[in-house]
Parts: sequence; C-alpha cells; structure tokens
Amino acid sequence: MKTLNKKNIIGILVSLIGILLFLSINGCFVSKKVAAKSGVQLWAENCQRCHNMPSPATFSPDQWEIVGMHMQTRAQLTDKEREKIVDFLKQ
Amino acid sequence: MKLIFNNLTIGLTTLLLSFMVETGFAQRAPTAQDSLNDRITALEQQAFLQKRGEDHFMVTGLATLGFVTNKTTTTIGGISTIKRSSTFGNADTYEFSPMMLWKHGDKFLMEFEPSFNNDGLSVNWADVSYFVTPGLIIRGGYMVIPFGIYNKRLAAGWIDKLATDPIGLDIPVSADYGFEVMGGLPLGDMKWSYDVGVFNGMQLLPDGELQGAGITDNNINKTFSGRIGILPLSNSALEFGVSALTGKVEDEGSAYPNTRANMYAFDMNFIQPIKPFSVNIKAQYNIMNVNRANYINPNDSTQLYSYNNHSTSAFAQISVRPAFLNNKLKNFEIAYRYASSITPAMSAWGQNETQSTVGIAYWINWRTVLKVSREIINTNSTVNQAIVPYTGISNSNSWYIQFSIQL
Repeated sequence: MKTLNKKNIIGILVSLIGILLFLSINGCFVSKKVAAKSGVQLWAENCQRCHNMPSPATFSPDQWEIVGMHMQTRAQLTDKEREKIVDFLKQ
Repeated sequence: MKLIFNNLTIGLTTLLLSFMVETGFAQRAPTAQDSLNDRITALEQQAFLQKRGEDHFMVTGLATLGFVTNKTTTTIGGISTIKRSSTFGNADTYEFSPMMLWKHGDKFLMEFEPSFNNDGLSVNWADVSYFVTPGLIIRGGYMVIPFGIYNKRLAAGWIDKLATDPIGLDIPVSADYGFEVMGGLPLGDMKWSYDVGVFNGMQLLPDGELQGAGITDNNINKTFSGRIGILPLSNSALEFGVSALTGKVEDEGSAYPNTRANMYAFDMNFIQPIKPFSVNIKAQYNIMNVNRANYINPNDSTQLYSYNNHSTSAFAQISVRPAFLNNKLKNFEIAYRYASSITPAMSAWGQNETQSTVGIAYWINWRTVLKVSREIINTNSTVNQAIVPYTGISNSNSWYIQFSIQL
C-alpha cells in the first residue's frame, strides 16, 4: 500500500471537515427528534459513552457549569447538549 | 438660693433624660417586626457577600492506588529464567492527579493537572480553552493531542474498567505544546465532532525510535494531528473516529533530514443495553510509519543499518454490567481486553507483543471503583541480533488489585 504523505493526510482531514461543516451549516439542522431531547435523556446517553452517569448531587450548580465546559472539550458535546445536561444536573 | 436649686434640678433632670435616651432605657421594647427587619437586613448582607460573580474555580482529579504481583518467564536459546515481583506502586497501580479548573465568564476555561506517579511529578495538561461560538472551541497550551480516543477519554483509572492500559497505544507524543480547534455539531439525527491541532512534535532517536516527552523543540517543523468522530445513531450509542498525525521528526543538525512520521488511528465505541445488562465495546487501531533512514550501528560507528520503521498497535475491549438489576449485582462489571503491539523487525527494539487482560470491577459509586485484573503479556523479540543482543521470548503473568476514585 502506498504510504500517504503529508499532503494526502492534510487533504483528507480538511476535505472531511469541509464536507461535514457544509452539511452541518448548509443543512443547519438538528432533527426534531434530537432537538426535543431533555437534559436527563442527553445526560444518560452521552455520559455513559465513557464513564458512569454522574449523580447530580456530586457538585454544586456553579461547579456543574465548570464541569460542563470541561466535558465539552473532552467529549466534543454540542453546545445544546452541554446546556441541557448542565441545566438538568444543576437542579 | 432657690433659683440655684431650681436650675440644678432642671440640669440634673435633663442629664438623667439624656442618659436614659442614650442607654435605650427610654426605648420601647423590640417587636416581632423589628426582629424580622433585623433578620432581613442580615440576610441581605449575606446575599451581597455571596453573590455569584463570573469567575469560578474548582479542584477535581483522580487518585489510583493498588497492588500488583508478577511472574515473568524469559526463554533464550532454550534456557528459561523466572523473575517474580510484587509492588504497591507502579505506573498502573499508583497515580495522584488533582485537576484544577478555572471558569472565567462563559468563554474561558483553564485546566491544569499535575500528576504524581511512579515516574515522579509531571503535568498531564495545562491549557486554556476559548469557547468562540457554538461548535468552535480554540485551545492553547500543553494538552493531550487529538489522536484516537483512549488517551484523551478512557485512560483515567476511575473510567478504565481494567487495571492497566492497553499496550502500544501510548504514542510517543501523547501530550504536547500547541494549539487546537475542536467542536461537536449536530447533523440531522446524527452528530459529528472534529479536533485538529498543530504541535511541536517528536524527535527521532539514533535507533529509529520516536521521542516526544521532555524534548526541546529546536526546529521549525511542526506536527499536525486531528481526529474526526461520527456518531451515526440519534442516541449517541455508537461512535467511529479516524485520526491522522504527520510531522517531520529530525532533531536540529541530525542525520535524518526530511524524515517524517505519519500515524493513523481508527477507533470505535458502542454501548448497548441488552436488559438486564449494559454492554460496552471499545476498540482502537494505530498505525505508525517513519520514513526509511540509515542508522549508525552502535557497535561499529562506521557501519549503517536500516529497516522498515513501521509499527502497529490495537486493542478491543468488551465489558458487561448488569446495570438494570435492582440489587448489589448491578455494581459489578466484568471486562476483557485483547491488545497487540508490533514494533519494527530488524531494529534494535523490535518485538511482537500480545496482551490479554480480564477483570472484574465493583463500582462503589459512579466514580469510585475497586478492580481485580489478571493480565498475560507474551513478547517475542524481533531485534536485529547483529546490533543488539536477542532478548528472547517472555511470558508475563500479573494480578492487579486497584482502587480508583475521581476526586
């Protein structure tokens, strides 16, 4: 197999990101099913991708805001997902 | 005389009244309304002192401790030697890593995680993230590079279901100085994520191995690394990722100009309830290529040798937890992982290695776990015997007891 060089690799990455950005922005859509998801549902679905679901009692509301930002950089949550999950955990 | 007496009486009376007013003797008795007003004033003062503000700080992190006992049998030329060891602290059984997080307003997050383990005191990451707009975060500093999922998401002791890390996945530059852009975006019922960065990169050692940690960047070359993830199911239960890394690796003035390392990784993560169980499958496959170069024979500096500098590593793991039961059994989780690492044959460090690990974890709560794992590692040396001594075939058999907690 021919070894991919730097141009190939960067080209593939940029192309993939471009296509997906185009689809996301041009489509600019979240399906109704996804948009209707509650914070508790998103909490259950996303947290357990890597670890157990955290108890809302673990941190204070202010701390959940910080943890939400931290986890968004780790798990690449969408902004809406972070917002809804943190709102649920703060209750 | 009478006038003086009258004046004295008036003066004394005035003085007495003043004293009574001053001391509150003349005040009415406090009412319930007064008490309530005082209480409200005190609460207002308290609320003022505890107003939320914009900046927040917290300390979290993890601690892992445990015990490992090991028996390693090495066979060279038909002669076997056995070594036994048992220890409380090593890279897989001890770590204390407090993580400090600062949130400045809604746009900035600072993360700093020092770590103490068997290798001493080090820093896992120290970075600043700027939340630019939905779907776009810029991060700078010292950070885990975007390559695969294990190092960035799954390596923490309170997350990993087994006591050890899979072999071969810890690429030479797992954390580095640089910048990255990342984000997660919806795509209809699906969603996707990107994480792309530029970093100082690695250096090629005289035997062809790559070194990433603790080096001084002394050239203009930078390394690019990125990962794209796709979550095709609306419930985010399945994720596929593809990663790539490329960069020149020659040290300043080295004998390896234009030598480049290219790496790729493919990962997946799937979690599915099969009641009463929750089943989780994770996998990652890494490929690492370094351009062919001539290396100096350590036994004779007038001689050169070369080899195909190609490495692969992979792991696949399945874990099952009866999470939907309503008794203590739901806290147990069993896991099995198979991993493989193949480093270049005919090099000074080539070997084929396999790792089988099975374990049971007891979740004391969502972020606290006690694990017992058994691991067997088989290693077969493929070194160039004209360069370094043959290290034979070895079998390593270990038991781990590990406790891990998120702080």
